[in-house]
Formats: sequence, structure tokens, C-alpha cells
Amino acid sequence: MIKMVFNEKIVNPTELRHWEGKIELYWIYTSGKAGDEFFKALKEDRFIAAKCKKCGKVYFPPRIYCEYDFSETEYVDISGEGTVRAFTVARLDKDEKPLEKPEIYAIIDLDGTDGCIIHLLDANPEEVYIGMKVRPVLKDKSEREGKITDIVCYKPS
Amino acid sequence: MAVGKKDISCPPEAIGTPIKEEDLKKGKVTYYEDHPDIRYAWTAGQAISRFLNELKKGRLIATKCNECGRIMFPPRIFCELCFKPIDDWVYVKDTGVVQTFSISYIDPDARPLPEPIIVAVIAVDGASPKMGIMHILGEVKPEDVYIGMKVKAVWKDEKEREGAITDIKYWKPVG
Repeated sequence: MIKMVFNEKIVNPTELRHWEGKIELYWIYTSGKAGDEFFKALKEDRFIAAKCKKCGKVYFPPRIYCEYDFSETEYVDISGEGTVRAFTVARLDKDEKPLEKPEIYAIIDLDGTDGCIIHLLDANPEEVYIGMKVRPVLKDKSEREGKITDIVCYKPS
Repeated sequence: MAVGKKDISCPPEAIGTPIKEEDLKKGKVTYYEDHPDIRYAWTAGQAISRFLNELKKGRLIATKCNECGRIMFPPRIFCELCFKPIDDWVYVKDTGVVQTFSISYIDPDARPLPEPIIVAVIAVDGASPKMGIMHILGEVKPEDVYIGMKVKAVWKDEKEREGAITDIKYWKPVG
């Protein structure tokens, strides 16, 4: 026997209710000792990495200790230039709206380090290739604020 | 009292680099801050919508299943035991019995409250046993609350009601 669905007796959409809410979230994330050192150096047009005093591994982003042998590291200057390891071409923004101009996000292995950086790559999507040599483009010195956006993008060198 | 700052000791190797708020303000340390705007809308569904609309009229409504005979409160549109749509709406009383309670000294952000609030689960009279809602108790001292205490809803003025669970200000002891 099929019972009548009760829902059918009462539906009046104007009587239906909803509840709105907002999740409060606010945070401050400090760069940490080594991160701080990096961003401050960036303000002065310098790129730094951290080299392990024992095994010689060069960390980028810089770290205060080596995660393999727990020994101390020292800051070393690097050029900031690198090589594209991987990339993706985004044609939608984070709200899935079409972008006027596609954005390229790349993992860039930095010269003289064992680390990498993920950043925007300002290039023609058709011309990007893995192994491409790229260089960073920094914001105007007076506009730098100690954030990763102080690097505007990377460009083919 | 279980609130307030505690002196927590940590081994010397775990001591970090302390920073003050003014270090951030003066730009001594670099940081990233964000305040994401996260909003949501929760649809109440047919049963809770009616429940909320009835609150505005100062009434509590439940639903009934003719198969198991249960009067379900807060109302739902589907009997989860008989696995069938419910059969009827019934009004229940605005009195009930405390089933369990908790005394809270902090607000939802864990800030100390000047006066503790008593949160209780109240089985409502007229509904099937143990059917009830969570609400707050008032006009009673924390030390006087007990399981089994009879309570009655204290409603907001009719003009102030907006069809929300807060249309009931609190439940006070009776008898």
C-alpha cells in the first residue's frame, strides 16, 4: 500500500524559513624567524636561502634548522632566479568566474637551492615549458610590505 | 573557577621568540593577516519552519506518527522509526521537565561570563517521553537546578517575537 505523502498537504513555500549565519574568522600568521629574515631581505632587493652547516642542503624558503640532521642553518644569498618545474594555466578565478587573461601558476626551482617557490608566471601560456628559465619581478621598493606579494610575478629571463 | 589565564610551563627547548602586539603594529616582524567573510544559509525545512512560525504565536508544535503513536518534538516531517511521513500536527504545552543541564561560565568565544548561564535539555509536556529541546534556564540559581525539575517557558512580548527559538527568553522553575 502506498501512503499519501504528508508533505503534499502542507506545502506553502512562503511559510518556509531559513537561517543565516556568519563564521567569524580572523588570524595573524607571523612569518617566523627565517621567514621574517627572508621578507626583510626581499625589501632590500635580496633573496636568501638557508644552508645547513652540516649537510649543506640549501633550504628555500629558509628554515632555522635542517630537518634531516637537526643542525643549525646559515643564511646565504641567492639570485632568486630559477627554472619552471611545473605549471598550470588558470582560466577561472577562485570564484570560478572566467578570467580576462589566463593566469599561470608555476612551481619554480630556485637556482642554488634545493627548494622551490610557487608563484604567478607572467608569460604567454602557449610558450611556457618545463625547464624554462625565469626571473622574479619585484614591486616598487617603496611599496613592499614584507609579504609574498612583494614579488609581483616571475617572467621568462 | 575553570576560566582564566593559567601558568603553563614548558621545557626550555620549546621556548620560541616572543612577540608583542606592538611589534606587529610597528612592522618589526612580518606577518600575514586575513579576515575571511564566511556566510551560510541553513534551510529550516518544512517541520522546523512551522515550528518557528508557531513560536511567533507563542505556541509549541509537534508532529505525530499514527503508526508508533509518538508525538515528536521538535517536529520532524518523517518518522525515523516507522520510516514514513508523519500524520498530524499537535500542539504541546510550554512546560516541561529538566532532563540534563550544564552550567556554563564562558560564552561561545570562551570569554568569561559575568553570570553563569544554565543550559538544559527540557522534555516538553504533551510530547512523547524524552522528547524535548535544549534551552536556557532562568530565575534559578545554578545550585538549585536538579534533574526532574519542572519548568515553564518565559516568552518574549508578542511584539518582540520574530519566529526564532529566542522568542522563548528562558525556562523558569514552577511549583
